[in-house]
Amino acid sequence: MDALSSLLDGFATALTPVNLLWAVLGVLLGTAIGVLPGIGPAMAVALLLPVTYGLEPTGAFIMFAGIYYGAMFGGSTTSILLNTPGESAAVVAAMEGNPMAKAGRGAQALAAAAVGHFAGGMIGTILLVALAPAVADLAVDIGAPDYFAIMVLAFIAVTSVLGASRIRGLASLLIGLTLGLVGLDQMTGQQRLTFGSLQLADGVDVVIVAVGLFAIGEALWVAAHLRRTSGRPIPVGRPWLDRGDVRRTWKSWLRGPFIGFPFGAIPAGGAEIPTFLSYVTEKRLSKHKDEWGKGAIEGVAGPESAASASAAGTLVSMLTLGLPTTAVAAVMLAAFQQYGIQPGPLLFEREPDLVWGLIASLFVGMVLLLALNLPLAPLWAKLLRIPRPYLYAGILFFAAVGAYAVGGEVVDLVILLFIGLIGFGMRRYGLPVLPAVIGVILGPNAEQQLRRALQISDGSVTGLVDTPFSVTVYVVVLLILAWPLLKRFTGRGRAGRAGSGGVGGSGE
Amino acid sequence: MRLRTPLALFGAAVLVLAGPPLLTTGSGSETGTQIPGLRLMVPNTPGGGYDITARTAAKNAEDAGLTHNIEVFNLPGAGGTVGLTRLVSEHGNGKLAMSMGLGVVGAARSNHSPKTLSDTTPIARLTEEPDVVVVAKDSPYETIGQLVDAWKRTPGKLPVGGGSSPGGPDHLAPMLMAEAAGIAPKQVNYVPFDGGGELLASILGNKVAFGVSGVGEYLDQIKAGELRLLAVTGPERVDGLDAPTLREAGYDVDFTNWRGVVAPPGLSDAERSKLTRLFEELHDSDEWRESMKQNGWDDAFLTGDEFGAFLEAQDARVVKVLKELGL
Amino acid sequence: MTNRPDAPSAETLAASPGGAPAGTPDGAAERRSWLRDHSELGVCVLLLALGVLVLTDVLTMDVDIAQRGPVGPRTVPLVVGAGLLAVAVLLAVDVLRGGRGEAESGEDVDLSEPADWRTVLLLAGVFLATAVLIEPLGFPVAGALLFWGAAFALGSRHHDRDPLIAAVLSFLTYAVFDKLLGVPLPGGPLMGVL
Repeated sequence: MDALSSLLDGFATALTPVNLLWAVLGVLLGTAIGVLPGIGPAMAVALLLPVTYGLEPTGAFIMFAGIYYGAMFGGSTTSILLNTPGESAAVVAAMEGNPMAKAGRGAQALAAAAVGHFAGGMIGTILLVALAPAVADLAVDIGAPDYFAIMVLAFIAVTSVLGASRIRGLASLLIGLTLGLVGLDQMTGQQRLTFGSLQLADGVDVVIVAVGLFAIGEALWVAAHLRRTSGRPIPVGRPWLDRGDVRRTWKSWLRGPFIGFPFGAIPAGGAEIPTFLSYVTEKRLSKHKDEWGKGAIEGVAGPESAASASAAGTLVSMLTLGLPTTAVAAVMLAAFQQYGIQPGPLLFEREPDLVWGLIASLFVGMVLLLALNLPLAPLWAKLLRIPRPYLYAGILFFAAVGAYAVGGEVVDLVILLFIGLIGFGMRRYGLPVLPAVIGVILGPNAEQQLRRALQISDGSVTGLVDTPFSVTVYVVVLLILAWPLLKRFTGRGRAGRAGSGGVGGSGE
Repeated sequence: MRLRTPLALFGAAVLVLAGPPLLTTGSGSETGTQIPGLRLMVPNTPGGGYDITARTAAKNAEDAGLTHNIEVFNLPGAGGTVGLTRLVSEHGNGKLAMSMGLGVVGAARSNHSPKTLSDTTPIARLTEEPDVVVVAKDSPYETIGQLVDAWKRTPGKLPVGGGSSPGGPDHLAPMLMAEAAGIAPKQVNYVPFDGGGELLASILGNKVAFGVSGVGEYLDQIKAGELRLLAVTGPERVDGLDAPTLREAGYDVDFTNWRGVVAPPGLSDAERSKLTRLFEELHDSDEWRESMKQNGWDDAFLTGDEFGAFLEAQDARVVKVLKELGL
Repeated sequence: MTNRPDAPSAETLAASPGGAPAGTPDGAAERRSWLRDHSELGVCVLLLALGVLVLTDVLTMDVDIAQRGPVGPRTVPLVVGAGLLAVAVLLAVDVLRGGRGEAESGEDVDLSEPADWRTVLLLAGVFLATAVLIEPLGFPVAGALLFWGAAFALGSRHHDRDPLIAAVLSFLTYAVFDKLLGVPLPGGPLMGVL
């Protein structure tokens, strides 16, 4: 096949010693900077842009690819170890990853994430090579009604993370939706819940909400109930995944990309919604439902794999359509333009060496990342052995750095603390934290797509169901909703068991 | 033993107090265009238009040896209004400048910001770029005349896509166009998108009847034939693109988006002329010329009071359009 | 420094699932313990207040731009606000019927002890102080105070080691962000003096 021979040429480009060096350097720098609080992949790529100015384009983009993937992986590292996600794609990784780390399975969580990134990136990049033109055509056909249908599906999925008490889960979801309302209304520019403050005009960043609810809330909650007697450090545990782990996660690794890749490729996709959908899917399919919320390894493996594949999907739209679907893609697009290269329909013809070299270097970067991070996982995990006061002081410190460094606004610190106090209260009264975060992610997205769809149809409600895609999704939604009823007719469903946030083994 | 605590405290205090200033490398003297410690604020996110302009300008200025180490930083929020407010609050700071453009003028108005660009010190307008009116290649509209005729009949049924929120450049252009065609701006069904990506997909997929955006963003798609270019909004045709200006097509609209640099208020004359000279020299440099060519920007260099007067005129134009919309 | 309140384990009661009420209190104490037991009603009040806040914001919003389509900037907040009110009522009913939110457990969390409010307040105070001090004193100083203060609040008493660790961490973070990455952080009062 034509693509295959081009890809082989690409490998010839990517595997020259010099380009290999740039790839290694990119992966290292990306990981190192992605680990820093408050710096997500977009920021990392923007900050490292000047580093690549001296290089010729192919080398520069090979390095970029390394930085991008490295930064994404670095982001989930802090998410898992310290509960402080540096970017929205890593938020879900904290849900199961951090409890694992606390229980001494940090190395396994990191390894599951590393392999997940590898699998997701590999499969995603293979899909990119095979499907790029087809996917690009499809991406254009997806419009606001289709997005809104997906959002409805996602809201249905939220019910499975509401936890043992539905009413408390709903309360949490509504708190999240309220936080999501803050800011300028994107369609009309109307201020909502900003109380006249310009700092609130862009809304509350998902990362601030996640860090506030997860990290600050957790630190305060632990402070109120710090186990002072034992002083037992977190056990380091085994450094590697054992066969049981692998048996549980291999399917998750493989499933993730098929959720993540399509979302990356469509214009309003990104990584937040697919990571969340992957989380919910894994939870549904898991044989170890009692472990969810306390460190289920599938909950790290699936979403991480989906996130990485979504990054590959992002590249599809960017390279073939010149269409930046995420902030990182926008920065990379800008970088392309620095070199006088315009990504878009003509790129594959004009710059075949560069494009295929870049794609080949994605494979190379993935291998490098895995080789680098698997051995590092146990070392990272040892970080948690530092004494508790330092650990939680450090979490507070880095959460503050992350919130402040990006905009240099003191208000962000105050908002962070405020959300942290909400997180503390939610822990005290058993409101699960995850629905709130999901609410912040889904709420504004769903509202915008709903209103955009209605505006395009000039107010006609049929505008919501005028595409085959949206109709299909609504049928799926109806089936999911009808399923419990059907089951009730066929036989008695099992009694609902406690899901996440259970009190479980609070003893020793 | 007793002594160790005060010693540790002392050591810690010295480190955090004296460390940062000592870390700052002795930056060059303030001669010529050198402004040590100059910082350039970008009021939107990395990858956006002001960001690219600022980072390119900073890099070119360094390469041309005009000044060392310009620090570019982002302070996004409310379409640039947060950055504007911060800039105005840095009264008398001669080592700060902000990359901005028409979008910030609009955002300051549509957000009812208490601070506007008349509170800043205008330094220079750098580049400009016309907007384009584009449709998908399989759209029924072959010419701008056909499109506007259909638009006049049923404005509500022809949604217009743009990459900026109300008050931004891509919003102003279709409003001015509607006005010139005899459509009340309130009738226009303007659908805002986040940046160019989602908008492009919506135009290609015929989700919106037509799109309005900066010419640079879609140059490649136009050349590849994916998008059909119906008109450009500027006073002149764009080289290499086969499309009339709106004025040639009979609609009295002259609209270009522009980008420039402003500084905090309360600068001394010396500080102001120093900043202006830096951008004058930048404008004359080969590096900048090359960057403009690569990015497809048109030169629109204007400094000092003339730029200030231009800002006032743009502000008035924005206010007029927004008032017609009832903002 | 653990400051034990004399009331033995009211926290634990509220926190333990389906908390079996403790033994034999008399009249006033009983009412107090009922309130303690039902302190979750406070959450309902907060949700109610939040709902009212959202609805007030909706009603005072002047929709000044030409709005198109049936769903305007008010619709979604209206739904969310109403939802908050409904959930507040439903939660109150649940609590009065004996439902209890289970306080979150964890490796470092010991729910058998009463809540240590002093530490929580100290931490929140230290964090707030950092926010106030970061501009006048610079990031290195404020960051070091945050780390040291938080470690102190959490019970670390190495008076020689702690400030040094805090200072080094804060200074290194400053150096990496400000100098290596070009993300500006305020340097402190001595910038430009030395």
